[in-house]
Amino acid sequence: MTKTMSPRLRRHENISGYLFLLPSLVFFLGFVVYPMAMCIWTSFTDANMNSNTKDTFIGLANYVELWHDPVFLKALWNTIIIVVVSVPVVCIFSLWVASAIYRMKEGTLSFFRVVFYLPVVTGSVAVTVVWKWMYNNYYGIFNYLLKGAGVIDKNINWLGDPKYALGCIILILLTTSVGQPIVLYVSALSNVDSSLVEAAEVDGANNTQAFWRIKWPQIMPTTLYILIITTINSFQCFALIQLLTSGGPNYATETVMYYIYYTAFKLYRFGYGNAMGVILAIFIAALSAVQFRLAKED
Amino acid sequence: MKKILALVMALCMIFALAACGQQAAPAPAANDAPAAEAPAAEAPAGATEISLWTYPIGKWGDEATVKALTDAFTAETGIAVKVEYLTYADGDDKVNTAITAKQAPDLVMEGPERLVSNWGANGYMVDISDLFDDTDKSEINAAALAACFAPNGAAYEYPLVMTAHCMGINYNAFVEAGADQYINKDTHTWTTEQFFQAVQALYDHFGGTVGAVYCTGQGGDQGTRALVNNLYGGTFTNDEHTAYTWDDPLNIKALKALYDQDGIDFDASIVGGDEIANFYNGIFKMAFCWNIAQQLNPNSADTGAGLTLNGDEIVFMAFPSEDGTAKLQGGIWGFGIFDNGDPARIDAAKQFIKYMCDSEHTVDAVRASNFFAARSAAEGTDLSGVWADNEIMNEYTKLMPMLGDYYQVTTNWAGARAAWWNMLQQVGGSDGSEAAISAAVADFCGQANNG
Repeated sequence: MTKTMSPRLRRHENISGYLFLLPSLVFFLGFVVYPMAMCIWTSFTDANMNSNTKDTFIGLANYVELWHDPVFLKALWNTIIIVVVSVPVVCIFSLWVASAIYRMKEGTLSFFRVVFYLPVVTGSVAVTVVWKWMYNNYYGIFNYLLKGAGVIDKNINWLGDPKYALGCIILILLTTSVGQPIVLYVSALSNVDSSLVEAAEVDGANNTQAFWRIKWPQIMPTTLYILIITTINSFQCFALIQLLTSGGPNYATETVMYYIYYTAFKLYRFGYGNAMGVILAIFIAALSAVQFRLAKED
Repeated sequence: MKKILALVMALCMIFALAACGQQAAPAPAANDAPAAEAPAAEAPAGATEISLWTYPIGKWGDEATVKALTDAFTAETGIAVKVEYLTYADGDDKVNTAITAKQAPDLVMEGPERLVSNWGANGYMVDISDLFDDTDKSEINAAALAACFAPNGAAYEYPLVMTAHCMGINYNAFVEAGADQYINKDTHTWTTEQFFQAVQALYDHFGGTVGAVYCTGQGGDQGTRALVNNLYGGTFTNDEHTAYTWDDPLNIKALKALYDQDGIDFDASIVGGDEIANFYNGIFKMAFCWNIAQQLNPNSADTGAGLTLNGDEIVFMAFPSEDGTAKLQGGIWGFGIFDNGDPARIDAAKQFIKYMCDSEHTVDAVRASNFFAARSAAEGTDLSGVWADNEIMNEYTKLMPMLGDYYQVTTNWAGARAAWWNMLQQVGGSDGSEAAISAAVADFCGQANNG
C-alpha cells in the first residue's frame, strides 16, 4: 500500500532538500556562475587595472580586435594543433595500453597503473623541471643520447627552436595526460560482459571483430568522457608553457590560455583577455557538442 | 534530526557569509581619496600590525635577516610587521591578484618600474612625497630620487639601495684562452672591439657557447638591454622617458654583430637565472645577468663568493662600449605603500619606511640588501662606509660612477619588456640579415610604443 505524503510534510521535505543544497549552490553561484557572468560582461568593456579610470562599454570591439591580432591567431592555431594531435594520440595510446594490461594479474596491473598514473599525480612544476633538464640545450639527456647514437652532430635547442618547441610541449602533455584515460579504460574494459565476448568467439568472431562489435560499444561512454576531458585539458594547456617557454620562441608555443594570462596579468587588459576567454569557451563547448553528437550517432 | 542538521548548516553558511561581508565591508574603493589627505583632527589611533611583501632583494628575501630587522622596528615602535616573501617568477601575479581582491599589502619592496610606473601610475599607491624633506633630497642619489617620482610629482617609492648591473666573466677560462689580454681587470672595463676579440678567443679555445643572449623569462632583461645598448652607444628610451628608441640603428648594428659572432647564441630556451646557472656550471664563460648580489653569492656548491662551482675566479666587468666607458643599468630598490584606505596603517607604513631608509638603522637595512645605500647619510649617520669592511663591495664601487640613465619608468614598461624578449627571439631565429634584424626591431619597438 502506498503511503501518500501530506502537502505539509512534502513542503518540509523540499525545504530540507534545498537547505542541504544551499552550501554548494552558494559556492557554485559565487565561484562559477558569477565569475563567468563577469567574464562575459567585461569582455564587452575596456576593463584594465587602472583604478583612476572607469571601465567603458565598447561593444564588440575586443572581439573584432581579436581577429586582427596576429599573436592571438597564432596562439589559436597552436592550440588547435595541440588539441588535434594530443586528443587522438591520448585516446588511442591509452586504449592500446589498457587493452594490453587489463587482463593481467592484479599485481602487474597495479604496477602499470601506477607507472602511467604517476605523472598525473606528480606536481606539474616537478614534471616540468625534469623535462626542462632533459631538453636542455647544453647538457640535456636527449642531446646526449642522440649525439651518442650518431643521430645528430650538433646539440638541438629543443625548447629554443621554433621547429621543435611545440612538439616538445605536446610530448610532455601526452605523458601527463595518458594516466587517467588508461585507468578509466582498464576499468571500462574489465566491466565489459565477458559472456558476450565468449558468445561472439564461439560464433567465430576474431579478436578484432570481438573488440569493435562487442567491447567498443560498451566502452563508448568512457571514450566520450575521455575525449571531452582530454580536449578541454589540451585547450587549457598553460602551466607547461608558463614554466618552459613563456610562449616563445617567436610565439611558437603561444597558446590561447597563455595569451589570456599574459594579456590580463602582464598587460592588464582584462576586457581583452576575457574576450579571448569567451572565444575559448565557445570553441570548447562547440567541440564537446560535436563529440557528443558523434558518439550518440555511433 | 535531518531538519535540525539542515538548519545548522544554513546558519553556518549565513554566519560565514556575514563574517566575509564584515571583513570586506570597511575596505573602500582603491580610488577613494588618498588617506594621506585625511584631516589631522581625525588622525586615527596607531595601527599595531602592517604587512610587507618583499621581492628577493639580497637578503631582504631571507626570513631570518628580515625578521631581525622587523623585530627591531617592532621593539622601537610597537608596530608588528607581517612579511611575505615574493619571487620574481610569481611575485607580480601575487601582488596583482591581491590588488584586484583589495587585499594588497601595506608595504611592498621593489623598484620604480613596478612601484612608480606600474602600481603607482595605475592609482594603487599612496603619494609619499611628504616623506622627502630638503635634507633627504640632498642626501639621496639624484638618479634614484628622480626615479621615485611620477611625472605628476607624486612619489610612490622611497629608495633604500641601488646598484649597477654588470657582466661576470670566468677569469680562469679567459686566462686559459689568452683572452685576459682584452680586459682591464683593474678598472673592470673593456672596449667593444676587445669584447669581440675575447669572445672569439674563448670560442676558438673552448668551442660551444661562450655567452648566451637569453631571450625569455620574467626578469634579467636589463643584462641583454645593457649589452646591446652599450656596444655601439644605442639608446633604449628618449631622455624624457616618453618613448622607446631601441630601433636606433646603433642597436641594430649591435644585434647584428652579436648574431654574427661565433660563441654568442641567442637562446630562447633560457631565462636570466638559467644563464647564471650555466655560468656557475662553467658552460658559459661569461654572464650578462650579473650584479654585486651574484658576485657575493657563494653559489649552490658553496665554493665561495666570486667563484664558479669548480672554483674558477669570477670577475665582474662593465659592459663593453666603443670607448670603454659603459653606461650601466641601475637597480634601485625601496619601499612603496599601497593605498588601503586606512590612515592608521598608512601612517605606520610611513614610520617603517623612515625607520629603514632614513635613520640610524638604515645601515642594517642596507647591509641586508647586499647593495649600496641610495643616499650619502641618514639622519646624521654616514652611509658611505657601510661596506668599508668588505673587499668585494669596495672593489665594486668602481662601477658605480658608470651608472647610466634610469629609464625603467617609461610608460608601458611591462609591455616593452615582453616586446624586447620577443624581438630578441625573432632576431635569434632570423637569417641574421640586417633587413631581418631591422624589421624585428622596428616591429617590436613599435609595439612597445603603441602598447
